[in-house]
Amino acid sequence: MDILLEGIVIIVGNYGSGKTEISINLAVNRKLAGIDVSVADIDLVNPYFRAREARRQLAELGIGIILPPDKYLQADLPILTPAVAGLIRKPSRLTILDVGGDKVGATVLSALADALDGKSYRMLQVINPFRPFTDTVKGCMKMKNEIEKASRMSISGIIGNANLIDETTVDVIYEGYAFVSKVSGETGLPLEFITVSSRLSDKIDMKRFSCPVLELHRQLVPPWKKAAAL
Amino acid sequence: MGKILMKGNEAIGEAGIRAGCLNYFAYPITPQSEVAEYLSHRMPEVGGVFLQGESEVAVGYMIFGAAACGERVFTTSSSPGISLMSEAISYIAGAQCPAVFVNIMRGGPGLGGILPSQADYFQATKGGGHGDYRLLVMAPASVQEAVEMVMMAFPLAEKYRNPVMILGDGLIGQMMEPVEFPENLKSEPSKKDDWATNGMDTRKSKKRNLVKSLFLDPVKLNENNLILKEKYERMKREEVRFEPYNTDSDYRILIVSYGTMSRVCRTAIDNLKAEGIDVGMIRPQTLFPFPEDAVFQAASKKSCGMALSIEMSMGQMVEDVERCVHGKCPVKWYGKCGGEVPTPEEIMDVVRSNLS
Repeated sequence: MDILLEGIVIIVGNYGSGKTEISINLAVNRKLAGIDVSVADIDLVNPYFRAREARRQLAELGIGIILPPDKYLQADLPILTPAVAGLIRKPSRLTILDVGGDKVGATVLSALADALDGKSYRMLQVINPFRPFTDTVKGCMKMKNEIEKASRMSISGIIGNANLIDETTVDVIYEGYAFVSKVSGETGLPLEFITVSSRLSDKIDMKRFSCPVLELHRQLVPPWKKAAAL
Repeated sequence: MGKILMKGNEAIGEAGIRAGCLNYFAYPITPQSEVAEYLSHRMPEVGGVFLQGESEVAVGYMIFGAAACGERVFTTSSSPGISLMSEAISYIAGAQCPAVFVNIMRGGPGLGGILPSQADYFQATKGGGHGDYRLLVMAPASVQEAVEMVMMAFPLAEKYRNPVMILGDGLIGQMMEPVEFPENLKSEPSKKDDWATNGMDTRKSKKRNLVKSLFLDPVKLNENNLILKEKYERMKREEVRFEPYNTDSDYRILIVSYGTMSRVCRTAIDNLKAEGIDVGMIRPQTLFPFPEDAVFQAASKKSCGMALSIEMSMGQMVEDVERCVHGKCPVKWYGKCGGEVPTPEEIMDVVRSNLS
């Protein structure tokens, strides 16, 4: 089952839910399927572990990437480059907005309201049930409501990203799938796709899932590890 | 409950709660603000107190006040914030109160930058504030170890009636790793009736307690300093922690490195081993007390021709390494402290260039 996302896709969720990792990997997945893709990093909250880390690989694949200007890359200043609004006005066939964590990170979206006015978009909430605050359906709903309030936009789907990074097991994936299916059932929000680390993909029975699966090649790694090839 | 995926800063906050500490006062600063963010949600859930001070100076004295009252209390900050708290830390040590301080270091001096650094080594291990005091300093190299050290810090602070510092860096605070909170590290707060100002009606003894660091009588002040000195000597005997790595091999170079930097060194050591080059490492888990004997013994090994202090500072720890190696072999330093973490390849090059 392929991921068929197109148009403007806004990736939101709590801190550390995996938004940036998913944005990068989704961009590559769709680019390899032959469509034109751009990614904008609009995380204004956190200067660590950002999309900029994968910049070279994305550029080599011909994926457009919008980041704050170079000289401000290491500043913890909330810089929203005008290029983002420009991209929304003239989007690629798939345009991914990688938003900062929690309601604080999502606040930036209200600043893009003019650019987004009249555009159709999908806002997807990334959920990792192995993270604090989103380990219950109630917690996920609270996160959803807070993000919607801060952004003044509505979440239209969810992405399951169950993982414990290097300690992810097959059971973590199955358990996480069951959890996000439950969230999807209770909220009525479609489960757009789930993720599986490339390290585990041959051990997983994909037939268990009734949604597409995005294979993740881990990019955001600490300095003593190597990022996977995209 | 199994493992969960936590950012270092969140895990440090949760570890405080699991250690039975329900008082957290802080002021936000990158790269540790998520501790405050996390505890602003969590403290109310467990009936604890999260209070943001108007500055780090204020926070330091809020910690002193709560500690003097016999409460378990902690704070977290990053380098410039710890500088502001240093006066209070000196008062707390002088008045012999237990408290836990977490420093998620960023680059300095001054405002410096917001990326990882280990440039507060001197501040943590040799002073920061004024007077003859020491902190018991623990340096985690993973999110799990940060959890365990925070949980251990509270009973240790009470054992010595002295502040304990957890010295991490921006990467320890910001990176995500799976963690669990070991039940066996939970501890009951110690009895404090004999010294704390915890209220006359809460205890049997009618003796009034006075918590102070002011001793105008020079004999009394000297006595207070001798009490402190005896505690620090006891820490040196009882609290040294370190992890040796690849020290069973016939290494020609010994690395001494801690925290995030030691994890890069570990990868470099593994890669060099695959090339047939053995390098040993002593990773201090306590920076004060420093693993003096372990470093001396490791540097005394026949095969060892050099010790390398690898740190994200401009040679602060190398002074301790030199002192402990005690002339057994030459000691060199390698490091960076702008916020870039040296890569495994850089460390491998440093090792190779020192072998040729």
